[in-house]
Amino acid sequence: MRRFLFPSLMAAVLAFAAGSADRALAQTKPIRIGVNTAIQAQVGRDAIDSVRMAIDEINAQGGVLGRKFEMIVADEGEAASEGPKLGIAAVNKLTSEDHVDVLIGGYDSGVTLGELPHIARAKTIFLGIGSASPAITQKVKDDYQRYKYIFRVNPINSAKQSQALLGFITGKLKGDLGYNKISIIGENAKWVQDMVPDIKKGAEAAGLEVPVAEFFDVQTADFSPLFAKVKDSGSQYLIVIISHGASDVFVKQWYDAKVPVPIGGIDVKGMDANFFDRVGGKSIAEVSANFVLRAPLTPMTVAWWDKFVSLNKRPPVYTAAGAYAAAYIYAEAVKRAGGTDTDAVVGELEKTDFVGPAGRVQFDATHDVKDGPGFVNELFVQWQANGERVVVWPKELATGKMINPPWLAQN
Amino acid sequence: MVQILVYGAVISAIYAMLAVGFTLIFGVARILNLAHGSFYALGAYLVYTFTANANLPLWAACLIAVPLVGAFGVAVERILVRPLRRSMLAVLLITLAVALMVEQVLLLIFGSEARNVPSLVDATYHFAGVDISAQRLLALGGGVTILAGLWLFMQHTRLGSAILAVAQDAEAAQYMGIPSDRIYSLVMGLSAAIAAAAGILVAPFQTVIPSMGLLPLVKAFAIVVVGGLGSIPGSIVGALLLGYSETIVAFEVSIEWSQIVSVAAVFATLVIRPSGFFGKRASF
Repeated sequence: MRRFLFPSLMAAVLAFAAGSADRALAQTKPIRIGVNTAIQAQVGRDAIDSVRMAIDEINAQGGVLGRKFEMIVADEGEAASEGPKLGIAAVNKLTSEDHVDVLIGGYDSGVTLGELPHIARAKTIFLGIGSASPAITQKVKDDYQRYKYIFRVNPINSAKQSQALLGFITGKLKGDLGYNKISIIGENAKWVQDMVPDIKKGAEAAGLEVPVAEFFDVQTADFSPLFAKVKDSGSQYLIVIISHGASDVFVKQWYDAKVPVPIGGIDVKGMDANFFDRVGGKSIAEVSANFVLRAPLTPMTVAWWDKFVSLNKRPPVYTAAGAYAAAYIYAEAVKRAGGTDTDAVVGELEKTDFVGPAGRVQFDATHDVKDGPGFVNELFVQWQANGERVVVWPKELATGKMINPPWLAQN
Repeated sequence: MVQILVYGAVISAIYAMLAVGFTLIFGVARILNLAHGSFYALGAYLVYTFTANANLPLWAACLIAVPLVGAFGVAVERILVRPLRRSMLAVLLITLAVALMVEQVLLLIFGSEARNVPSLVDATYHFAGVDISAQRLLALGGGVTILAGLWLFMQHTRLGSAILAVAQDAEAAQYMGIPSDRIYSLVMGLSAAIAAAAGILVAPFQTVIPSMGLLPLVKAFAIVVVGGLGSIPGSIVGALLLGYSETIVAFEVSIEWSQIVSVAAVFATLVIRPSGFFGKRASF
């Protein structure tokens, strides 16, 4: 009996010791953040640099629960050129090979939607910082148990962006400037397909005439026919919604033809701080929605902006603000949960109340970022002389007067 | 109507510049050159580099860029294509490799963001309800001049006659003392230079990104399929047909549908007349 009891006891002691060692290792090994983004684009590079900036700050303060953070990046490309396959491969690599604890990323809604089933199957938390389609967080609403890992930190979804754009149209264009006829064009991409009809309907309900409401292919290289159609329609303003298409071509051709209709709307590449220089100043008077600017949007914004510029020698775009906030939001949720157990962290993420560079972040029941006064807002920013950017809407945040392009009389 | 006429003419001239070089090298050397779009992109990027980084005047940048790209075309033919010319598949693959390499090198050096190539002329003209930039009119004039110059060169110079002779029968031309290898290099250089000129003329109102050569290659391919592979008149007719069809669809139907025109034209041509409009005749 003793001969049998002693080895059994030894085995139990060894097993306990091994288990303790595993637990100790788990408690000291770094927390891994996987960043899935379009690394060739500025939205991707800024997301990576911003996560790095947040990680360095968190690690400098000793990490979370004694564990440091580390980042692993994977390229997810863009749907317009690669489809979602690169993104799916990126999240599968990050979750099954690198075993990341959380994913921060996403830029192209088409890619993100392709990735979601894979993220859900891997039961890995995803904090979206770039894609805007409402269909992403709709998954959480439709099947909470399967998709509860999905959150959107940034930007506000395209349905809410539609409402903000409609506010600009009815408040600024109709209300302040007295326009009564506008045209709307948008690239034929997932996130825009619902926006154009919604905005047209909303504008018409507000008493505006919308003679042209069209889509164009993301590969469109010549916008002249659209400009001619808009001009012939007698429109006083052209609303454009473009992200993956060639913003630079759109703006250059508009400027070169001196189209007698001002332009503005949601131009994602037009959000880039160096866009004005990239198009040789031809974006003068273009209004582009934005989410972050070097302005006191929150107590953190200006300091964060300046630090990003000093570290990376370039101003950030909107994904940088979201990525920075996402890293901190995850770190705080892990701290509150007492570890990286996914279900516990999801529960804590749902209680998020974090003031980031672009605004205060709280999630609604579908894990989508809340918008409105006090939260993340959409700003309408105009390119003016020498590449200066001026907020022209909402009225309470405006920093200057809206101008017309140089070939038109000023308002 | 005037808008369709003017914009259709501009786009047709650009397409013709792209397609003529593409079909020229095929007609003479039987090289299906998938790197043709790279020459177009290199023209634009060289002008960007010379103006933005070397601060050269725009006209000087253009004058240097075109022969440089032509020389690059000669080098590609001499070093990479010539040893493989016996196999069309190998030539296809090596030119594809050149296209991918050029795109990756541009991506590494310049990144993925669009670059700005300044306009050679800044004015805008308004007539008969048309608003058109002088740069577009310059592209139209440049295209017509280049095509006319090419025709004169081919028809009225000894070198042009030598090219025609090699295109008709390389072996017979060789027996007559025409060095066909040198002719192939020359034609590749000429084809690259025309593509570069197109890139330079178009870059101020188009996007300048590393992958900018892909769409022109697709268009050139569609045009030569419609016009007949290896035929210069066929390419010009194909360019006019596609340029005007796309413009009419964009103006009268929707800009969204204009891109499908070239695909439909290729499909219809392959079904109805696989050799294209001028494909069964002599190359030139």
